[in-house]
Amino acid sequence: MIGSASLVAGAVLLLLLLAVVTKGWLAARQLQDVAPASREEDEMEPCAEEVVSRIFSRADWEFVRGLKAGRIERLFEQERKRVALVWVRQTSATIRKVMREHAEAARQSANLQFSMEINILAQFLTLMAVCGTLSMAIQIAGPLWLGGLAQYAQRLSQQVMKLQESFQAGILAKAEGAGRG
Amino acid sequence: MTYMEVPDKRVTVEEAYDDLSRRSLSKIRGDLARLIYLASTRDYNTGKYHHDGLAARFQAEIAGQALAQAHSEIFCRLAACSLQELVEEVDIYVSCSQQSREEILEVWQKLEPYRVALPVDVNVAVAQLFVSNVKLALAILCLRQQLEAMEASAS
Repeated sequence: MIGSASLVAGAVLLLLLLAVVTKGWLAARQLQDVAPASREEDEMEPCAEEVVSRIFSRADWEFVRGLKAGRIERLFEQERKRVALVWVRQTSATIRKVMREHAEAARQSANLQFSMEINILAQFLTLMAVCGTLSMAIQIAGPLWLGGLAQYAQRLSQQVMKLQESFQAGILAKAEGAGRG
Repeated sequence: MTYMEVPDKRVTVEEAYDDLSRRSLSKIRGDLARLIYLASTRDYNTGKYHHDGLAARFQAEIAGQALAQAHSEIFCRLAACSLQELVEEVDIYVSCSQQSREEILEVWQKLEPYRVALPVDVNVAVAQLFVSNVKLALAILCLRQQLEAMEASAS
């Protein structure tokens, strides 16, 4: 009885995780409606951490609340929600682009490191799940409670980019070494 | 020309940047006004910056790079500042303008001319944050103005 309950709970969790990853994936695709494809391609540099903090800032909300004007409060909530969703979609799209580049480079690489590939894939899937969670949570509750998760996504995306950069640098070094030899 | 005579381009851009900061930008009050000024030195069609005085003292290309650098730096500062600080920036800009306060606030809300002040290669999310914050700052200043008008009529 307990075993079947655990199985059902596990299946539900797995389905939820899949839904969140799919949501992140879809969120990334929606960026194409917000920004032209060429802009998306250009913007490999992520937002600065201080900008991410600002988008999810509670200090700005406290300032707006202090004005005691419902119209401004509603405008603020609406605007910050929109900007936060753009940031999530952008982060998601950037990381998908990094993964595409990585897959391309990996196909040409003769000796792949299994542990590094697993590490990159795990971080990519985590990031997609975080982006999906952020996207849903922002739409439901707004961005003001999600600063910590957003900072985590920001750090994770930088880690994946660094891993891909070091992977690419390794391939280049090997190619140069082979060229000389 | 010997190797030693070749000017270091990076140092020259920095010199042009310092010159721009000292002679022009320091005389403008507020980062928002500086941003609008720098954006106005950019050609709408080519996206290239031009400043006669700076181009005369340095090369046109160097001057353009210094202007672009200043534009980008001031924009980043404004995009990352708090909403309260941005409200103050917009307030300074409106107060220093020769047009009436009501007129500027109304036109800025309708035409959103601040969108033209974005640097070319700006990150989409940062650009959205800036535009959104200026929109909010304008709404807050309009509200303040309405409250002041109501207080004045009541007393």
